Amino acid sequence: MVIEDRIKKVLLENALEEVDPKEINNSSPLIEYGVGLDSVATLELVVALEEEFQIRIDESEITPETFETIESISLHIAKKL
Amino acid sequence: MSTVRELFLSSIQEFSDNIAVVGDNKRVSYNELGSMVESFSSFLYSKGIKKGDTVVILLPNSIEFIVAFFSVSNLGAVSVPVNTTFKKEEIAYYVNHSSAKLILTQYQLKLLVDEISSESNIPYSIVEGKSPEWNTHNFNEETLPDVPIDSSDEAIYLYSTGSTGKPKRVSRTHHNLVALADNHTQTVGWTENDNILFTVPISHTYGFGNFISSIKIGAAIFVLGGFNRNRVLDLLEEESITIFPAVPVMLDVLAKTYLPQPKDFSSLKLVISAGAPLPEKTFNKFYEKFGIYPRQLYGSSETGLISINLGDDIKNTFNSVGQHVRNVVVKILDESGQEIGINEVGEIVVRSPSMTTTGYFGLPEETEKAFRDGYYFTGDLGRIDQDGFIYIVGRKKLFINISGNKVDPVEVENILLDHPNVKEAAVLGITDSNGVESVKAVIVSDEKIQKKEILEFCRERIAEFKIPRTVEFRDEIPRSPTGKVLREELK
Repeated sequence: MVIEDRIKKVLLENALEEVDPKEINNSSPLIEYGVGLDSVATLELVVALEEEFQIRIDESEITPETFETIESISLHIAKKL
Repeated sequence: MSTVRELFLSSIQEFSDNIAVVGDNKRVSYNELGSMVESFSSFLYSKGIKKGDTVVILLPNSIEFIVAFFSVSNLGAVSVPVNTTFKKEEIAYYVNHSSAKLILTQYQLKLLVDEISSESNIPYSIVEGKSPEWNTHNFNEETLPDVPIDSSDEAIYLYSTGSTGKPKRVSRTHHNLVALADNHTQTVGWTENDNILFTVPISHTYGFGNFISSIKIGAAIFVLGGFNRNRVLDLLEEESITIFPAVPVMLDVLAKTYLPQPKDFSSLKLVISAGAPLPEKTFNKFYEKFGIYPRQLYGSSETGLISINLGDDIKNTFNSVGQHVRNVVVKILDESGQEIGINEVGEIVVRSPSMTTTGYFGLPEETEKAFRDGYYFTGDLGRIDQDGFIYIVGRKKLFINISGNKVDPVEVENILLDHPNVKEAAVLGITDSNGVESVKAVIVSDEKIQKKEILEFCRERIAEFKIPRTVEFRDEIPRSPTGKVLREELK
């Protein structure tokens, strides 16, 4: 599975449980779905991404730019793999 | 020892060379902490603070918070610790409601506090961060008056959340706080060799209780201004932390956080979970990673610490908040106020030397309901087993519990109703499969509004933990014939 698909899977399981998967594409603005508005939920999402990709993401890396879209998350994660 | 000042002086004498506080790359001994409090007391005195005045402490966990609290107590004044994540209107409420004479805050909050100060006419001082008005070198001149402090004098105002739309002020005296520290330390068996990590806010009753007990016993306090999981993991290992008070969501996140290399957590001897129920998954997952089971603690702003689970059979009693601490009485009563038997479910009521004796300020009806016959009626439903272990099984009150932060649904409803396109609003708590609660808002509107717009509207006005995670739009809100919102139908 490519990085974007794995991120989408993590998002749907951890932050967007009520959202129809067909609604989300790699460039959908995630803030529209509330991602990044709640720091506890964002932290849970980051932890799930760490688990999925076996990487460490520091708190300082959790910025609105990084978490803007699946694409931007993917670019960030790709640098760590 | 009957006042906070005596408790503090006793610790700085007895544990003089021990490390008292570590934070922001500084290590302060008990002796140094004593000097800092003397200097800060002079600073407060120069600001006109005298016995009986209230001082808002709007600071994160920090050396300055600790110095400020003991200095306020030293002058016989009353501390009002306020959570730094609150928004302007929320902070202004605490400032005005407590009739504060001064706000102590950090540089980071300067703009916000400046507005509150101008509107309320209450002065403020920056004491932490860039350009502090106080430091240990510039305030040693003022001679402090010898203020007599009685154990029955007020020492702190904490605020309790209910369903009244606004937090309720709870006063605790010097005697209450000294009794809290005594009962806490004698029950949990901490020592001056303990290293205790505070990432839960000291401004909250849970953090505060652990903090004052740590000082009483001469332990080292490690303060973190917020929850940064990687920093917590580093500190647990590097500083050989022995005690870690937390809330379940922190434990869950720590247990899941990826570790590139193994870490040594063997110094940990007590991990405390409080504020919200501890899910079984988190309990087990935490043990797998850290080799120690978290233990639940129970307390309230009204009473301080009530119980802690120090039992030997933690695997089978993980969902218990444990046995009552020393000198605290816990009973389970039925609807008619009669004590009921082992394992029968009823309301948990508490009597404690550390509980408030005056109830809720300015709220005689609420006080009469919650404080009866020397007991505090917690509003929590629970049972006590044959070994005295307390289990919380539900609640009678309406509030929502978000990771240990209590949310008053009426307060959030009032905020939503301020939105020009919201006609009706009902707010309630919903629980996921792990027993974790979140805020849900049900909104009736004539216009089309998006969830994002509602969230942004809330974000500007209330602390993040109060913002609804789920927003549902409906044509109407179900109500009983008397107009009461039928919240169960909205879950």
